[in-house]
Amino acid sequence: MIELRFHRDLYAGTAIDSALGRFAGVARFVRREDGADFVVEVHAQSPGRERTVAGELANFALGLTVEAGGPDR
Amino acid sequence: MSESLFGMPPANVDADIAEGRVALTVDTSLHSLDAIYAAAYAFIGRCYVLLERPAPERVRVVLAPKPSGADGDALRALIGEFANELLSATWRREITRSNRALIEAVTMQAFAGALGSPSLDDLEAFQFGDEPFEDPLGIAQSWEEKYRKKPRTPEEPTE
Repeated sequence: MIELRFHRDLYAGTAIDSALGRFAGVARFVRREDGADFVVEVHAQSPGRERTVAGELANFALGLTVEAGGPDR
Repeated sequence: MSESLFGMPPANVDADIAEGRVALTVDTSLHSLDAIYAAAYAFIGRCYVLLERPAPERVRVVLAPKPSGADGDALRALIGEFANELLSATWRREITRSNRALIEAVTMQAFAGALGSPSLDDLEAFQFGDEPFEDPLGIAQSWEEKYRKKPRTPEEPTE
């Protein structure tokens, strides 16, 4: 399992939700909130696949946040 | 395990060579969040990019090359390239900010020109009694005014 932490000052919550929806078919995700962080657990068949999915998910969330003009105001 | 890279300031750059990751901690009073986004966005094609918030005035940018197995030299080159891109993004934003007044003036003139002919209200408000501007070289004259044939005056009989 890989845990990703997305800080609210840096990532839009809507971008993370959209990214999770996009990758829903390739791994299992658990989303929760911890203080100022959106936390996403990535569960996949192998550590290598978890690394790839977690990295692509983070890139996708960052790209959508940038396109949205930044984090939620 | 976090370690420093040769030639890089250890307070800002750290790497985990075993995991194939390198990170740069950025002071947001020097580089805006928009500049950090711009630089990070340029790297998502070849790296996995994650932004972290270690302190209120800091953003930690973590880069992991997509083909795993990068060594220390590759990570050092990567984070150096990112730092250059970040500086470039910050400088581009500064140029845009300093030229904003000029851009707004040019845009305003373009829109004003595209508005077309004045309305009847504009013409009614126009002061036709104002003094005309000086034009000693005749620059403001139309082609017709400048080159039209002058009416021939009848010659007076000479004695």
